[in-house]
Amino acid sequence: MKAPWRGSRSENRTLNTNSPSSVASGVIHLESVECSYPGSEIPAISDFSLLVQPGEFISILGRSGAGKTTALRVIAGFEHVTSGYVRIGGQLVGSSFVHITPDQRRIGLVFQDYALFPHLSVAGNVEFGLKGYSTFEKRVRAAAVVDLVGMGGYESRFIHELSGGQQQRVAIARALAPDPIALLMDEPFSNLDKQLRTVLRRDVKNIVTEAGATTILVTHDREEALATSDRVAVMGDRSIEQIGTPEEVYLNPVSAAVAKLIGPCELISGSYRAGLVETEAGTFPARELTGDALSEPKQVLVLMRASELEINAAKGTEDRGGIIELREFEGEFSEYTIRLDSGALIRVRRRAAEGLSKGQRVVVQTRNNLPLIVFPNVPGASEI
Amino acid sequence: MNFLGVKSTGWKSSGKQRPPALLITSAVFVAIAALLPVVYLIARSAEAGSDLLDIVLQANALPVFGRTFLLIILVTFFSLLVAIPVAWLTVKTDIPLGRALSVASVLPLVIPSFVMATTVIEMYSPKGILQGWLSVFGLSRLSEIYGLTGATLVLVLMTYPYALLMIRGTLRRMDPALEEAARAMGYGAFRTFITVTLPLIRPAIAAGSLLIALYTLSDFGGVALLRYQTFTSTIMIQYESSLDRTVAAVLSLVLVAFAVFLLLGEGFIRGSGAYHRSTVGAVRRARRIDLGRWRWIGFLVVLLPVLVGLIIPVGVLGHWLVRGLLHDQELLPLLIPARNSLYVSLVAALVTVIAALPVTILVVRFKSRLSRLIDRSTYIGFGLPGVVVALSLVFFAINVALPLYQSIWLLVFAYGVLFLPTSVGALRSSLMQVNPRIEEAAQGLGKSQLRVFFSVTIPLVMPGAFAGGAMVFLLTMKELPATLILSPIGYRTLSTSIWSSASEAFFAKTAAAALLLILVAGVPTAYLTLRGYGSSSEKLNQTLTVTSNEES
Repeated sequence: MKAPWRGSRSENRTLNTNSPSSVASGVIHLESVECSYPGSEIPAISDFSLLVQPGEFISILGRSGAGKTTALRVIAGFEHVTSGYVRIGGQLVGSSFVHITPDQRRIGLVFQDYALFPHLSVAGNVEFGLKGYSTFEKRVRAAAVVDLVGMGGYESRFIHELSGGQQQRVAIARALAPDPIALLMDEPFSNLDKQLRTVLRRDVKNIVTEAGATTILVTHDREEALATSDRVAVMGDRSIEQIGTPEEVYLNPVSAAVAKLIGPCELISGSYRAGLVETEAGTFPARELTGDALSEPKQVLVLMRASELEINAAKGTEDRGGIIELREFEGEFSEYTIRLDSGALIRVRRRAAEGLSKGQRVVVQTRNNLPLIVFPNVPGASEI
Repeated sequence: MNFLGVKSTGWKSSGKQRPPALLITSAVFVAIAALLPVVYLIARSAEAGSDLLDIVLQANALPVFGRTFLLIILVTFFSLLVAIPVAWLTVKTDIPLGRALSVASVLPLVIPSFVMATTVIEMYSPKGILQGWLSVFGLSRLSEIYGLTGATLVLVLMTYPYALLMIRGTLRRMDPALEEAARAMGYGAFRTFITVTLPLIRPAIAAGSLLIALYTLSDFGGVALLRYQTFTSTIMIQYESSLDRTVAAVLSLVLVAFAVFLLLGEGFIRGSGAYHRSTVGAVRRARRIDLGRWRWIGFLVVLLPVLVGLIIPVGVLGHWLVRGLLHDQELLPLLIPARNSLYVSLVAALVTVIAALPVTILVVRFKSRLSRLIDRSTYIGFGLPGVVVALSLVFFAINVALPLYQSIWLLVFAYGVLFLPTSVGALRSSLMQVNPRIEEAAQGLGKSQLRVFFSVTIPLVMPGAFAGGAMVFLLTMKELPATLILSPIGYRTLSTSIWSSASEAFFAKTAAAALLLILVAGVPTAYLTLRGYGSSSEKLNQTLTVTSNEES
C-alpha cells in the first residue's frame, strides 16, 4: 500500500525498492563488514552481517560500546568500511573500494538527540529533505507526514518550543518525508522518561507500520527491542550473535551472553546428563544439549530466569536449595532473591504474596516442570 | 544502471568522511595568506646574513628589550588586579547598578590607545586638569606622567577589558554547584573564591594575561605619545627614519620571537588540569551573593576603572570639543576620514569572517594533521604586532606584488592577517555548539556536504559570524601602526588623522574625531556585550546542546 505522500515521481528517481531482485537480496544487506576508526587497532565492528527485508522492523540490541551505532553509521554512510560489502536496495554502496556519500543513499535517520534544525520551523525541518518538488507540493507532502506523526497544527512552531516527545515525532516526520528506502533510529527513546518512552514506542511502531517503512532500531533496552520488532539482532562484541523473532531469541538464546542481554537472568554452573541438570539449587529437567551424544556428565551453565522458577518452603535441612535473602513486593508479583549455599544468588517470581519470608530456607523447582536452558560451560561463555 | 553515482574513493578506506575539496583548498589558501608576512619577513632578514647580530646590537635593542619587558610585567599585573575583582563583583554579587556597570566596565575597549594617551596627558600631567583641581586645596605638584607611569596607566586601562571579558565568560559558564558544594562544606565566601573559583578561572586568567602581554607588546600609539620607547615604537622610528629597511625587518623578527615566547608562556601558566564542567544538563543561574554593607564598597571598586577608563577620557574629549566650538578653534575634517574608516573596517570585517569560515569548519569538523596545521598558522596574527605585519607586507608588495602597493587592499590584507584569529575564535565557539548530528541529518536527507554547509552550518553559526565581524570591525577602527604604514598616500582614516594631530600635541583639534571614532566603535561593542544577556540566543543554544553518548 502506498503512503499518502508518496508521489509517482519518487519511484523513477532513484532506487526501485520493490523490484523482485531487491526483495531477494533484501533492502539492506551487510556482508561481513568491518569498520575501524583511524588510530584504533581494534575495529569497531567486524564480520558484521545483516539482511533486512522490505517493510521489516529490526532492532539491533547490544550493550553500549558493542558497536551498534557504528553499524548504523556504516549503513547511513557516515563511516567508511574497511572490508566487506554494504548494499542498499541491491546496489553496492560501501566496500573497501566504493563509498557512496550519505546524501546519495536515501536513508532516513532519527538521532538519539534528534538533531533537528534549530533555525527552521517544524515545517521547515520536514520539508528540508524534499527535493525536486514545487513549494506547494512540498507543503502538501510535509503536512501529510506531520499529520501522520500526530503533529498537525504545529507546523509553524520552532523546535525549542516543543517538548522532548514532540521533537521526537518531528524527527521521525523529517526522516520519513523524503520517502527513504529505510529508516534508521539510533536510541531514539533514550532521552525520554520511562512512561513517555512506552507510549512513544507504540506510536512510532504504528507510524512506521502505516508508512510501510523498513526500519532498523538501535537500542540497549531489551524491552524496547522485544516489544517493537519483527526481528531482533543481538549484538555481541562487534558482530551479531543471534538474529530472530523476539520469541525465538528469548526462548532459544544461542549463548549465555545472548541470554543475559535478552532478559534478566542468573547463570549457575551445573552438571548435565541425559535431560537432567544437577546444580547446587537442585536437580532440574533441562533442554537437550545438541552435539555429541552424552554418556557422561558435562559441565554446563544453567539459565535461571525468575519467571521460570518456583520455590517452596524446605521440609528438611538435607534439601538442596537456598535461603531467602530479600523479598521485593512489586504489586502483581513478588520477587525473591535466594542465596544458594555457595553464595550465588538467583531470583524467583511468585504470584502468591503470603507464606515465605526472609531468612527462610526454600527448595527450588522449575515452573510446571518445564526444562531449563543450558549452555556448554566454556571459559568466557557468559561474557560479551 | 548506476543510480547512486558510484565513485571510487581512492583513499585507504577507514573511518570518517573526508572534507570536500573546495573546503580544503580555501582553508589552505587562507592559511598560506596568513603565513605570508612571517615567511617574507624571515626571507628579508636572511638577506642581512651574518650582520644580523650587529644590526640588533647597533639598534640598541637590549635596553629596549628590558624596558618592553618591564612594561609588560607591570601592565599584566595591574590589569589582572583590576579585571579579576571587577569580573567577580559584576557576575557573582548584588552590587548596585550591577548590569549597567557590567556593560560600562568593558567599554574602555572602544577607546584607541593614542586617544586614551592624549586624555591621560591632559588629565594627569603636572600641567593637567587634575593638578588644577588639586592646587585649589594647596596640594603638591603631581609627578611627571610621561614615561613608565603614564604608559602603564594607559595600557592597563586599554587592556583590562580583554581579561575581564574572558574571566567573566568563564565565571558565567561555571557550574554554580561547584561553589555551592564548597559553601556547604563550611567554606566562607572568600575562602570559596580562593580555593574553588580562582583555580577554575585560571585558564581564563592565563589567556587574559597573554592577550594583555601581546597587546602591550604591539601597542604603538599609547607608548609613543607617552614617550616610553618599546620595541614596537623603535621599529616604527627605524622604519620612518632610515631608508634601509633591513634594520626594521630584523627588529621585527626579534619582536616575533618575543611574541612566540609569550605564547609559549601561556601554556605554562594554564597548567594541565581538566576544567570541563563536571555535570551535564542545563546550567542553573546561581543566586547572587548578598554583600550586605559591602555592596557600596564593591560598587566603588567596579566604578573606579569605569571612571578612569571611560568617563574621564570621554569627559576630557567633550570638554575639548565644547571649548573648541566656543572659541571657533580649528577642528579636524571629519567626513572623509569617517567614511574611509567605516568603509575599510566593514570590508575588513567581511573579508576576515569569510576567510575564517572554511578554516573553522575544517578545524572543528574534520580533525586531522592538516587541519591542525592550518589552525595554528591562522593563529600567527594573534602574536604579530601590527607594525610587523605592515612592514613585511610593504616589503612583499614592493618586491612581489607592486600593484597592491599603496592600495587599500594591502591594508585590508593586513587587517585580515591581524584579526583572523579573532573571527576564527568567535566562529569556532559558535560551531562547537552546533551538534554535528544536525549536519549529518541534513546529509542523510540528501544534501551534499557542501550544500549542508550552506543550508545548515552557516545559518547556525551566523551569531558567531556577527560577533567575530563586530570584533574585527572594532579592532580595525582602532588600529594605528599598520594603518599608518599601509594607507595609500592621502588616504586618511579617523585613527590616522587623530594620530597625526595628536603626535604634534594639537590634542584639542582631535576631540570631535576621537569622539566620533569612539561612538562608531561603540556600536559593535554594545552589540557584543548585550548579546551576552540575550534570552533568545540561550534558548537556541539549549536545543543545540550536544549530548554525545557516541559509541566508538
